[in-house]
Amino acid sequence: MFRKRRLGLQVTAPLMAVGFSVLVGSVIMLAIGANPLQAYAVLFGFSLGRIDSIASILFKATPLIFSGLAMVVSFRMGLFNIGVEGQYMVGAFAAALAGFGLKGLPAIIHIPIVMAAGMAGAMLWAALPIYLKIKRGVHEVISTIMMNYIAYSFLHWLLADVFLDRTQVLGQGGFGSPRVRTPELAASARMPTLHKLFAAVGIQLPHYIYVSYLLFIGIALAVVVHYIIWKTPFGYELRAVAQNGPAAAAAGINSERVMVKAFLLSAAIAGLAGLSDLMTFFGYYDIDFPRSYGFNGIAVALLGRNSAAGVIVGALLFGMLARGAEGVQVMTGVPAEVITILQSVMILSIVVAYEIITRYVRTQRKKEVGA
Amino acid sequence: MDAEMLASALRMSTPVLLAALAGLWSERSGVVNIGLEGMMIIGSFWGAYGSYAYGPFWGLLFGMVAGLLLAAIHAVATVKYKVDHVVSGVALNILALGLTRFLCIKIFNQATASEHTRAFATLNIPLLDHIGFLKPLVTKVSPVIILALVLVPLSSLVLNRTVFGLRLRSVGENPLAADTLGVNVFLMKYAGVLISGALAGLAGMFLSVEHTGMYVEGMTQGKGYIGLAAMIFGNWNPAGALGASLLFGFAEAISIRAVSSVIPYQFIKMIPYALTLAVLAGVVRRAVTPAADGVAYERGGE
Repeated sequence: MFRKRRLGLQVTAPLMAVGFSVLVGSVIMLAIGANPLQAYAVLFGFSLGRIDSIASILFKATPLIFSGLAMVVSFRMGLFNIGVEGQYMVGAFAAALAGFGLKGLPAIIHIPIVMAAGMAGAMLWAALPIYLKIKRGVHEVISTIMMNYIAYSFLHWLLADVFLDRTQVLGQGGFGSPRVRTPELAASARMPTLHKLFAAVGIQLPHYIYVSYLLFIGIALAVVVHYIIWKTPFGYELRAVAQNGPAAAAAGINSERVMVKAFLLSAAIAGLAGLSDLMTFFGYYDIDFPRSYGFNGIAVALLGRNSAAGVIVGALLFGMLARGAEGVQVMTGVPAEVITILQSVMILSIVVAYEIITRYVRTQRKKEVGA
Repeated sequence: MDAEMLASALRMSTPVLLAALAGLWSERSGVVNIGLEGMMIIGSFWGAYGSYAYGPFWGLLFGMVAGLLLAAIHAVATVKYKVDHVVSGVALNILALGLTRFLCIKIFNQATASEHTRAFATLNIPLLDHIGFLKPLVTKVSPVIILALVLVPLSSLVLNRTVFGLRLRSVGENPLAADTLGVNVFLMKYAGVLISGALAGLAGMFLSVEHTGMYVEGMTQGKGYIGLAAMIFGNWNPAGALGASLLFGFAEAISIRAVSSVIPYQFIKMIPYALTLAVLAGVVRRAVTPAADGVAYERGGE
């Protein structure tokens, strides 16, 4: 009975939040004279009604699974790693270095090296904030945000001045300027896409879809993260420090060491978030490398109530919204930014919904006890 | 170091100062406001629109009200529903980004910039403007800069010398005691956060209308967060916030002049952020946070 009610709570709050966000979106669309019913019909029809859309959703969800899991680890630790944003970019750049710098390796060795480079780059970018947190008491929120801004400039410098691909040919007739990007990754560093796998079950994916094996790596990682948090001594220490630092310290847990390990673990996972774009879609790191996976990861983690399984559901939902937004913009003329608004309203309303439901359950229980 | 340099530093420090004062009002009432950045963004857009459509005075009003409305969401979420203050702030920053982009497309038919706006007529400081070497500093000053400077002693006065200020601070230090003494804890927190939003909106309006002459996406560049750092460096006091903001203003003014062939400009762009880290690393241990900062208050303490 109790378990059933808890499950109900886990499902009701996200539904309330999504419902409320849809409502806010409708008001905004009405305000600009668009028809919300039509827009939502397009959003769902376009994103769920076509096989290329489904594959595109999986592609768009992949980076968010990693950034969401990175947030879960930091939230469970009681830390707020807003730096996932900068960390995944530095990680993707480091991965690109390993991707075009090393040559002649078989893919089976090269791909893991590229992924390890991504994790290492992100961990490097997280080292200073966690050092400042523990040694100097600097709140990780401000320090990681500063590191995000420093990352934008630093990567810009690395791209424009140090690793610019100077072999690019100019546009037709020698016009235009070369893209500000790194050289291309070696073929052995490219993550295989799922075309062959889908073809094996009789589905031909269009060539412009890039969903890759990183999706499965993300799902496997979700299982690992769940296991680490709930089934290992480290996970126990992590939860203990987050819930009651002094008690954990009294029990002999070295909370500083646990914090450092958890923060670096969070960063390492973040370092994988940019790889889906790097190793499949682009094949190089360029100045317009996709941003905001870090911030969306926060939303996905909150939506998934800080559980690894919830992150996967949240990432798929965000992937669907992003794909649907493309259809909405093209077919109804409503700017795709309406989705960004929906997503941020979702973050707020999900936490509010939990508070409302928790209060409701509490009063119900009091009534039961009273009767 | 000449007066022109000082004038440039003063202009650069104004948005940081306003953001620091905004953060201070909120945190003194016990609510952490990471959403300052978003309130600045929305203030910079509505300030630009108000000024573009009706003139600078309306720009100022639009900017402040827009910041205040976003802050109202933060207040309801954190005070009434006890949402984690950082979570709410981060959500508002994302909301502000999406909303301004959306509005910019709808109002100005482009995603990332507004039309040119009208700024306030600049002022010359009487008497001082006759002293030759001070000229760049005291002539053609934006009235918003003067307003920001006036807000420093004014904030000090209200916080430290009025009943309202005392109550607001008591709520940030010990809400239970304040409640016991009959202070309306929730009302005081709402007041702190709303004032904070209006000031952050003003900071954004200064950036777009007074400093740049138009709204451009990403123009706040983390100044909301740097304002928070200035607030901490200034130990949650208006005068301290002014000092810290001037430090950041100087750093930016120097970095603009320091453009050289030796140091790549990307590293010069990092200076404000690196300075923020350095400043926080140096001072946080001796800073005194309001005791109940960031903590939800619940009557009956369940």
